[in-house]
Amino acid sequence: MWPRISTPSGIVEGLAGWPPPVLDPAGPYAGSVAALSWALIALAAGIFLIVLAALWIALRGRERLRARLGGERAIWIGGVVFPVVVLTALLIWGLTLTRNLSEPAGGPELRMRVSGEMWWWRVSYLDGNGRAFMQDANELHIPVGRTIAIELVSPDVIHSFWVPQLSGKLDMVPGRRNLIRIQADRPGTYAGICAEYCGGPHALMGFLVVAHAPDDYARWLAARRAPRAAPPDRQSARGAALFVSAGCAACHRIAGTPANGQAGPDLTHVGSRRTLGAGILPNNRGTMIGWIGNSQAIKPGNRMPPYTVLPGEDLQALAAYLEAQR
Amino acid sequence: MPEADPAAGRDVVQRVGCASCHVFPDISWPRGALGPNLGDFADQGLIGGRVPNRPDLLAAFVRDAPALIPGTTMPAMPISERESRDVAAYLYTLRDR
Amino acid sequence: MNASRTSGAVPPAASVSETGFDPTLFDRFPTSGERPEGELGELEHVWRAPRGWGLLTVVNNNYVGIFYVGAAFLFFLLAGILALVMRVQLALPLNGVLPQETYNQFFTMHGTVMMFLFAVPAVEALGVLLLPQMLAARDLPFPRLSAYAFWAYLVGGLAFFASIFVGLAPNGGWFMYPPLTSTAYSPGINADFWLLGIGFIEISAIAGAIEIIVGVLKTRAPGMSLDKMPIFAWAMLVFAGMIIIAFPAVIFGTLALELERALNWPFFDPTRGGDPLLWQHLFWFFGHPEVYIIFLPAAGLVSMMVAALSRTPLVGYRLVVLALVATAFISFGVWAHHMFAVGMPRLSVGFFSAASMAVSVPAGIQVFAWIATLSVGRPRYQTPTLFLVGGLVTFVLGGLTGVMVAMVPFDWQVHDSYFIVAHLHYVLIGGMVFPMFAGFYYWTPMMSRRPLSERLGKWVFWLMFAGMQVTFLPMHLTGFMGMPRRVYTYLPGRDWEITNMISTVGAFMLAAGILIFLVDLIRNFRFAAEGNAGNVYGGGTLEWLPTGLYSTRSIPLVTSREPLWDRPGLSREVEEGRYFLPGSATGNRETIITSPLRAEPQYLQIMPGPSVWPLLSAIFTAGFFLLLTVQAYLVGVVSGLVAIWCMIRWLWETDRPVRPPTADIGAGIEVPTYVTGPSTHGWWAMVVLQIVIGMIFLMAAFSYLYLYGVHTSFWTAPPAPSWLALLLPLYGAGMGLAWLARVLLARRRSTLWSPATALLFGAASLLTGFVLDCLSWRWSGLDPEASGQGATVYGLLAIQGFVTGVAVLIALYVAARNSRGLVTRPRNNSFDLAVLFLIYTGAQGVLGAALVRLFPGAV
Repeated sequence: MWPRISTPSGIVEGLAGWPPPVLDPAGPYAGSVAALSWALIALAAGIFLIVLAALWIALRGRERLRARLGGERAIWIGGVVFPVVVLTALLIWGLTLTRNLSEPAGGPELRMRVSGEMWWWRVSYLDGNGRAFMQDANELHIPVGRTIAIELVSPDVIHSFWVPQLSGKLDMVPGRRNLIRIQADRPGTYAGICAEYCGGPHALMGFLVVAHAPDDYARWLAARRAPRAAPPDRQSARGAALFVSAGCAACHRIAGTPANGQAGPDLTHVGSRRTLGAGILPNNRGTMIGWIGNSQAIKPGNRMPPYTVLPGEDLQALAAYLEAQR
Repeated sequence: MPEADPAAGRDVVQRVGCASCHVFPDISWPRGALGPNLGDFADQGLIGGRVPNRPDLLAAFVRDAPALIPGTTMPAMPISERESRDVAAYLYTLRDR
Repeated sequence: MNASRTSGAVPPAASVSETGFDPTLFDRFPTSGERPEGELGELEHVWRAPRGWGLLTVVNNNYVGIFYVGAAFLFFLLAGILALVMRVQLALPLNGVLPQETYNQFFTMHGTVMMFLFAVPAVEALGVLLLPQMLAARDLPFPRLSAYAFWAYLVGGLAFFASIFVGLAPNGGWFMYPPLTSTAYSPGINADFWLLGIGFIEISAIAGAIEIIVGVLKTRAPGMSLDKMPIFAWAMLVFAGMIIIAFPAVIFGTLALELERALNWPFFDPTRGGDPLLWQHLFWFFGHPEVYIIFLPAAGLVSMMVAALSRTPLVGYRLVVLALVATAFISFGVWAHHMFAVGMPRLSVGFFSAASMAVSVPAGIQVFAWIATLSVGRPRYQTPTLFLVGGLVTFVLGGLTGVMVAMVPFDWQVHDSYFIVAHLHYVLIGGMVFPMFAGFYYWTPMMSRRPLSERLGKWVFWLMFAGMQVTFLPMHLTGFMGMPRRVYTYLPGRDWEITNMISTVGAFMLAAGILIFLVDLIRNFRFAAEGNAGNVYGGGTLEWLPTGLYSTRSIPLVTSREPLWDRPGLSREVEEGRYFLPGSATGNRETIITSPLRAEPQYLQIMPGPSVWPLLSAIFTAGFFLLLTVQAYLVGVVSGLVAIWCMIRWLWETDRPVRPPTADIGAGIEVPTYVTGPSTHGWWAMVVLQIVIGMIFLMAAFSYLYLYGVHTSFWTAPPAPSWLALLLPLYGAGMGLAWLARVLLARRRSTLWSPATALLFGAASLLTGFVLDCLSWRWSGLDPEASGQGATVYGLLAIQGFVTGVAVLIALYVAARNSRGLVTRPRNNSFDLAVLFLIYTGAQGVLGAALVRLFPGAV
């Protein structure tokens, strides 16, 4: 049957298509481009109207006006002089902006590394020496008002990092390290998506940038670095054991536990994530069970095998354990 | 079901991602394969193969399944009581055609 | 050897001549007096087409052109259907019409088929169909090559397309970026279908381009100097020139990627000193000029039609020609604007941004030239006019968004978003598809008994125009809303579903317009080379002369750009045989070869007739590539050998002098019927072919230098430079012996075998040089799988090996001809071309051997 269109219900509150994110910047790196975009739109509309007017005169205009258009002079003016003047001005603006956007905005920058992997994002928070002190996946937390310099890398194929409200996009090319700068000037959740076709479920490779007010960010960071409590209840404790015995730990890492797999997303804080499956599912116990049990039905081709053999209690226990990893 | 809105129920189903385990005929993605296909749920006699398929029990089940059937794979879901009734009402619209 | 000398006239000192031809001879036309009876009948007899199944062996441009256009249009429809299904899938969020994998194959095929199987072949097909008519040539200079190019394209294209029905279609995007398309991430044969299928269709495109270059430069009607050439011929000349330069990049790219996939040579693998971005440079060095390759011929059509429909010469003819040439030049400096988001150095970004903006200036010149022409004339509101104006409006909008994305910061936002999807469809549909439909309506009367319907045509236009805008205008917004390209679905809740639904509705409007066009075509198109509907729209160029399969009865003397307007009696005079070549001068198919600048008659080319060999060659060439793709290596190689044998059979019948040695091409002007040397069409074609091969070689050399720049640490020492002391003399000897062979051939005292022997020894010397070149690298310990250096060095060697193999084959072929007494003395075309090829092979060997040994070692 023909499916109904459901009412707009983004999986994460606060994401919407209107106003269009490209034209609704939340920081300086997207802001100057939004201003440029508006100018370009206005300019293109203006020139388009001029051409339409010329075309109208050519087809329907008075004899006198048409005579003016009908010579090589019109070609020189409309086709050479006018474009050269406009384009030169544009070029100067564009190149100046290009330079400004690829330089630090001033002030100390935070450094992070995001690695595009098929089909999720490995996130590392770097200290002053460029060493990773915290791992995460598919979600970046940043403080408002600080410039974040993000190293973009990829171990497999080319991906592209794009959070329209925070900056333009930059590719993640195997064998290279690119640097992009983003900054959010107001707290909020900003959606990102892979913008370079990377095969298979490329369409389902989203992520989120969560911008906190500076104090909130400090609290958030402190909470993350606080010592971790043991599994709170019997079910989670069983989940913790299962995490190792069922093989999850071969690919996933949970800091402070024997689980130290590196192939898949780091699950140390998976319970606090807003989404599952790289920005595609809401995060609750139900979706967690569905993902663990058979993620292939949700995101075909992703690298996680189905675990349909696990009995219900085991899935419940695993989900409870992971939910507690906040 | 009185005072329950199937359309609102469907929105809840989409929001919390029930489809990551179940197939719903009018939701084309995801089409989860872990739980049963709910395409003809209204015609089923039992919930989860154990409990009679009654509106009040269904609403309770979708909200907190393990409380009703210990050991089930279906977990408790983050929805309100009102939403659980909407979801149940939506599930009763699913008939084999 | 020129016409004026043979006719005995002495050119007056004051007149300017390119070839020594006396222009006053032109004053003899139109001739008067009765033409002999039966002359027309013989012409018809000589040019008659085979019937029944024999039609498959036809080589005449009227037929091949129509087949070619039809096949291109078929692929347009097929790729369009793919687009419609994709639009249905995207109409709703999380829709389930197409599964992920199928969608990925669909969008890859849509782009690939539209670009490689529709757009380029379509304009090439229009060239084959229209150019001989516009230039008043009897046919293009290599009719069998046209037939080969067409059949190779049709057979290869259909087999390639069929891969989608078995789920084996490529799924890496039409741009095929590695590493996604390397074996690690695309282990199936889907990617091989793309690489071998497209690599093969590129060969067909290049064959067509060679044909068009030589056709435009050497077969124009006498008197049609370059400045009197129809704009379309200019556009096609630039088009073909661009293919010659651009396609080698993607040919080498596909070769390299296939070598990486099949033999594990790491051209693009960063862990072994390759670089994924090398592919992007190679691909876009081809890929962006490709856009202008598609646009320029269509712009040429527009210039022709705008002038004809306005009934006034094109305003700014010289500016438009300049714009065409300028576009070609600038377009080779813009490729990296597809790569603004890969993280390039700021300086290069600035250069490519500036060039991308500059390329809009020549486009602006053409747009204003068309507007100026429209204001001078009074175009009537016929279907072609509508399509022209609609195309103009659409193209201008696409051009403006093009300037927007040339702004680097803006591109960083919209790159690979739906904004780009909108931009490129505006440019390509406005710049190529609408002009092509205008052309369908405008030129159909030239080869159909009935013109297409004006009433249906208006429906077609308005549905297509409105559908186009409804589909693609909202996509700009979809892109601003953050939707990336090449996604098979999207999540609800970001309002993307609204604009996507509108786009899908528009796509069906567009499709409805095309459907009505098909109805129109079925109802009204009736192929007829003779007795066609004629000059419905009042064009002034030569294609509107009355024609048969032999083209025009006599080949007119051209004195202006719109001869039909300037000399109202021209059609009648041509039909009465009052100009050049009013019959068949030698009893063969023939056309006048003229000089490239001033179109002075040089000689009479004897043209081949229908033949089954081009068809068989094409089938077995296609078989070779396709069988390799499905890994049936043995059968594939056999098919390839059969293809070579078919080609030799096809060539064997050519290059035979006819009697008499000179012929009267009208008004007593005698020209030779067999000419050798640099003025011949064969020589020109060989030089163009060498440019193609040279460009492929250049791309390989570029890759070598590029990878050195990126991953110097992987480089190892080359074999000792002293090897050059052995290799260079060997390659030099090959070239020298080839030249000596040509000298010997001209000697009165040479024996039957001495020139052929010298040629064979030359080839053997080249072969020895190549083998030693390979061995020196083997002994140096460099493995092609080891590093980017290994891959590119052996890549260069692979090209050298291929060229050497062809050189050996050619030498053997010429020796075989010699043994049958087919090599004329003192000069022979086949022999000359073999010599040229051997010399080229030696030169390429010298350059290749020196480059990889001296750089970076000796620097």
